[in-house]
Amino acid sequence: MKIRLELFGASRDLSDKNFLEFNVNEKISIKDLRNKIINHINDNFRGNENFKKIIQASAFCSEDNNIVSDNYKITKDQKIGIIPPIGGG
Amino acid sequence: MLHAKIVDVKDEKIEISKAEEFVSSSKFGASIFFTGTVRETNENKKVTGITYDSHDDLVIKSFKEIYEEVEKKLHIKDKAVFIEHVKGYVGLGEISIIIAVACPHRSEAYDLSRYIIEEIKKRSPIWKKEHYKNKDSQWLKGNPVQTS
Repeated sequence: MKIRLELFGASRDLSDKNFLEFNVNEKISIKDLRNKIINHINDNFRGNENFKKIIQASAFCSEDNNIVSDNYKITKDQKIGIIPPIGGG
Repeated sequence: MLHAKIVDVKDEKIEISKAEEFVSSSKFGASIFFTGTVRETNENKKVTGITYDSHDDLVIKSFKEIYEEVEKKLHIKDKAVFIEHVKGYVGLGEISIIIAVACPHRSEAYDLSRYIIEEIKKRSPIWKKEHYKNKDSQWLKGNPVQTS
């Protein structure tokens, strides 16, 4: 199963593209996905603490544009948006 | 009556005249035009511009929700609301957001305008990357979105 994590705001610094992709064998929760992103930061950004803080403080958005909780299960190929702390206007 | 849009500065310009045209009606005796602009200093740093990023679908959804809840929360039934927010790079002094409201009476219009900008700040997924005179840039911290 492939999860395409669409990047916004400060999380854009995690990739030159607008997204990260994660291949997983079974359904996972948002909490699990958050841990996978943290692992990605450990592997690719020497565990950058600022990046990790952003991920810990972020919400996530499902493909149908709903903010979802840490318990939300991703059961099929899906685009998930990461929503770092906001501050427009 | 609501107009809600993200304006990608690569493709078009955000313009107050469009807001004036939208809210103009003889039904309403009061109009308020709020614009947010890029200011020259933030936390003692000289700012040259801001890049705005947005989750477009969620932002428009939040604008609609804010508009729809006004009748219940502020008891304002008759209204015209125009909200546009930019996406992309905006230079010093340029407009990042326009909120135009029109209501039958001035007190409602003031309340409505203030309510909308405060709720957008709290709820709409928009991010700012500030650019500084010394060529540095950084994403501003912001507030976490609440999950249910």
